[in-house]
Amino acid sequence: MLRRREILAAGALALAGLGSQRAAAADEVVVGVLYALSGASAQNGVDARRAFETALDVINASHDLDLPAAKGAGLEGLGGAKIRLVIADHQGDPQKGRAEAERLITQDKVIAIVGAYQSSVSATVSAVCERYGVPFVCADSSSPSLSRRNLKYFFRPAANDEMFSAAMFDFMDGLRKQGKAIDSVALFYEDTIYGIDSSNVQRKLANERGYRIAADVKYKSNSPSLTAEVQALKSAGADVLLPTCYTNDAILLTKTMGELGYKPKAIIAQAAGFSEKSVYDAVGDKLQGLISRASFSLDLAAKRPSVGIVNEMFKKRADRDLNDNTARQFTAMLVLADALNRAGSTDGAKLRAALAATDIPGTRTIMPWKKVVFDAGGQNPDATPVLIQYVGTQFVTVFPESAAVAPPIWPMNA
Amino acid sequence: MTMQALVQVLASGLLTGLIYGLVAVGLSLIFGLMDVVNFAHGEFLMLAMYLTFGLVVVSGLDPIVLMPLVAALMFVLGGTVYLGVVRFAMRAKANQGMVQIFATFGLAILLQGVAQYLFTPDYRSLQVSWLGGKTLDLGGVYLPWPQVFGALVSLAAFGGLYLLMTRTDFGRALEATREDQGAVALVGIDRNRIFALGWGLGAALVGLAGAVLTVFYYIHPGVGGAFALIAYVTVALGGFGSVFGALAAGLIVGLVEAATTLVLPPSLKSVGVYALYLLVVLVRPQGLFGRL
Repeated sequence: MLRRREILAAGALALAGLGSQRAAAADEVVVGVLYALSGASAQNGVDARRAFETALDVINASHDLDLPAAKGAGLEGLGGAKIRLVIADHQGDPQKGRAEAERLITQDKVIAIVGAYQSSVSATVSAVCERYGVPFVCADSSSPSLSRRNLKYFFRPAANDEMFSAAMFDFMDGLRKQGKAIDSVALFYEDTIYGIDSSNVQRKLANERGYRIAADVKYKSNSPSLTAEVQALKSAGADVLLPTCYTNDAILLTKTMGELGYKPKAIIAQAAGFSEKSVYDAVGDKLQGLISRASFSLDLAAKRPSVGIVNEMFKKRADRDLNDNTARQFTAMLVLADALNRAGSTDGAKLRAALAATDIPGTRTIMPWKKVVFDAGGQNPDATPVLIQYVGTQFVTVFPESAAVAPPIWPMNA
Repeated sequence: MTMQALVQVLASGLLTGLIYGLVAVGLSLIFGLMDVVNFAHGEFLMLAMYLTFGLVVVSGLDPIVLMPLVAALMFVLGGTVYLGVVRFAMRAKANQGMVQIFATFGLAILLQGVAQYLFTPDYRSLQVSWLGGKTLDLGGVYLPWPQVFGALVSLAAFGGLYLLMTRTDFGRALEATREDQGAVALVGIDRNRIFALGWGLGAALVGLAGAVLTVFYYIHPGVGGAFALIAYVTVALGGFGSVFGALAAGLIVGLVEAATTLVLPPSLKSVGVYALYLLVVLVRPQGLFGRL
């Protein structure tokens, strides 16, 4: 009610010619956050919320951290205004995502939307944002096609699956040079835009760089059984398994591989499910030596204190460490705050211009990136991907050499 | 694909099919008894899985030992749902069918929401079971013990159900109520009591399936969805209300699904099942074992 009264008051001020509504309401900046809070990916939404709350703590309160918008309370470019989140549930459904984005923009008057984990949902949400001229900061969807649609209001600070997959193949090329025999790969991917785009990139890279594709298995997500699918992988017996799955399928895939006595020689995963704590709680013993692509690695904390501090702040809220997904969500909100500070306005076009002009050195983020800048499609080309390996009960960075803290254990299952 | 791989896929289909049958039979039983489709059937399965998980955590016992207890508790739940919700939905004077659909559908959403609130949407998985991770190796064809055990439980449950329905007074009362609800009242059978027991039995059966699944599947508030859809097509294929049609149809669904992956990409594996169902509708709309 208070808010409505404020807006009325602001409207009255505007009528009186004393200032615009936006300027008067600038003590609060409303940002939409769009995730699945129910359905199969609800835990991602719950964790995302904690990541954004951590980011809001950094932005809205004063912290002595070398991160954008950390020092001083609130957004200094907007007179100390604080960010308030409106969180909406898209249930992992692109159509619900579209409807919720409309609602956030038209009713809650959000000045930007951050989301949305599932690439298929980010595709529809970003289209709505484009129509209304409201920036969409894509925190954690990795389909390459998202940044190839010439959208003016789409910004992705993190790497896409083209960059991630290239890192995987660079890594395998390096192992080949050391004399390791890697001849074939098996693609295993879910049947939405995330899995399909990932497999397209991996298929192309495998062909270009001379890896035989021993199996190419597109599976139905949320299946009650993956036995036949795993049987196909087992028959193919590739040197490296490249899975692209969300959490539930990652658990079922690993369990089924164990049941059918299939131990892939090596697994390099397109993260997502394979970043999640619940997967390792369930089947971590079977995933010793798994390598996953990542935008984040906790061992960076040794070099950069802010990583450890932010992780502790997050852990207090979520009872788990930051991972590939939550670190990207946290960073996306800081990138938005940085742009708001420079724009000095919540106007869509001005904010868009500020986002496009973003230039944050990697050392001022919690990520192992070179920097945060955006190309014409809204992609950050300098979001250096890393590969992390699951050893014992934690992940160790093994690639690229500049970020690695240990040599990779290869193969995973001799 | 080698012969061995072919046998593997079909054997897995068979085991999965028996479990599908066990998941579906409770739904079919309740429908046969009183023409009510329980849209919360998948959520009953989900609750049984959380129940098993919780009991294992609290007692430290193996889920196999706890199976009868889970079935008993689910029996109480099923009876309570009938007496507390469905009984009232059946009193509607008009659009009774729609009222029943929305009542059980509403219950499904409520149960999912409550589960997410209480248990969080994190994926759970049981680590400890005698059967967990053990596999029977038949010359390169792998049969995971949890699934083999689940298939045996399914067969035993169908066997027990057969005896119950043919050899006991309750079974005969159940059969009579299903034939003619009005006439049974004249011979002194309390319809409400039979319905409540029928719901209890249906829930207990899906409870067994839930306990079996906990050993090798993940647990999540939305886990019922994947199985419920298969349960509905199984019931429709086997014949609405036909208990043993559910067994036959479960097996068919499991095998057809597995066989489909041999010719089509796995992402299309349910296509075979629904194509078969449509074919059956053309010839026998009441389902393979359904009575008109």
